[in-house]
Amino acid sequence: MIPFHTLSERHLVYAYCAVWLLQFGYGIWLAVQWRKSSGP
Amino acid sequence: MPKWALAYLALTLVALAIGFEKAMTAPTEATMGNLYRVFFYHLPHAIISFVFPYLNCVASFAYLYWRNRDADRAAAADAFALASAEMTVLYASIGLATGSLWGRAAWGIWWAWDARMTTYLLLWLLYVSYLILRGVSATGQTGVISAVLAIFAAIDVPICFMSIRWWRTQHPAPVFGDGGSVDPVFFPALLWNMAAWAMWGAFLLGMRYAVERRRQRQAAAYAVGFLGSDTAEGLEGAR
Repeated sequence: MIPFHTLSERHLVYAYCAVWLLQFGYGIWLAVQWRKSSGP
Repeated sequence: MPKWALAYLALTLVALAIGFEKAMTAPTEATMGNLYRVFFYHLPHAIISFVFPYLNCVASFAYLYWRNRDADRAAAADAFALASAEMTVLYASIGLATGSLWGRAAWGIWWAWDARMTTYLLLWLLYVSYLILRGVSATGQTGVISAVLAIFAAIDVPICFMSIRWWRTQHPAPVFGDGGSVDPVFFPALLWNMAAWAMWGAFLLGMRYAVERRRQRQAAAYAVGFLGSDTAEGLEGAR
């Protein structure tokens, strides 16, 4: 079980959110490009 | 997507989950408290962002070497250079964002114009300009111009890496090696995240490369079709 109470600092939450948003946002964009490039 | 790539992705996601769990359960640091956990994401991204520019540089040299010898190899090198430049911007953006948030909470400032941060910002700007150059350039020389820029941009990496050794900076001194300040109790969280984000970066790099290679093949097929029909029409007209 992950102790989420250690995610208590505001700036820590912002930093983790920034990482996940940028990384997985780019990953999703790439998945869309991959699908588009598959062609008919 | 091939099965082995899906298996690798699944393994990477498991490693990321373990890395997150290790970062959350690592002991609380005495001075900074829980805020210190930013470090488990900041350092891996910053270190990995120093690796991609070298891949970009090697691919750019390969492109310049192959461009008049083997068009397909040159195109592959160019695609790899583009993919690694995007990875550099992605990881350096995260390095900048997490570092700035950490600095705000720990030092009370978002930014300091010290040698490390300035050279790191310069690194980010160089690779953003590389991507913009590739995006807006409409000549047949895009590959050559961007390869030359990439080779010069890579020079900033060792300067940035050594900046905290050469100059006194607001940014902390090296945390590994002689006089390193990291307590070994934090190593599991740090190393798991280092491995997991490196695996994720390698996955994105491979996927971006594959997408660009597909785009190149489609562009080449379109050009051949276009030229073919044009030539046929021209021949018809001549008759």
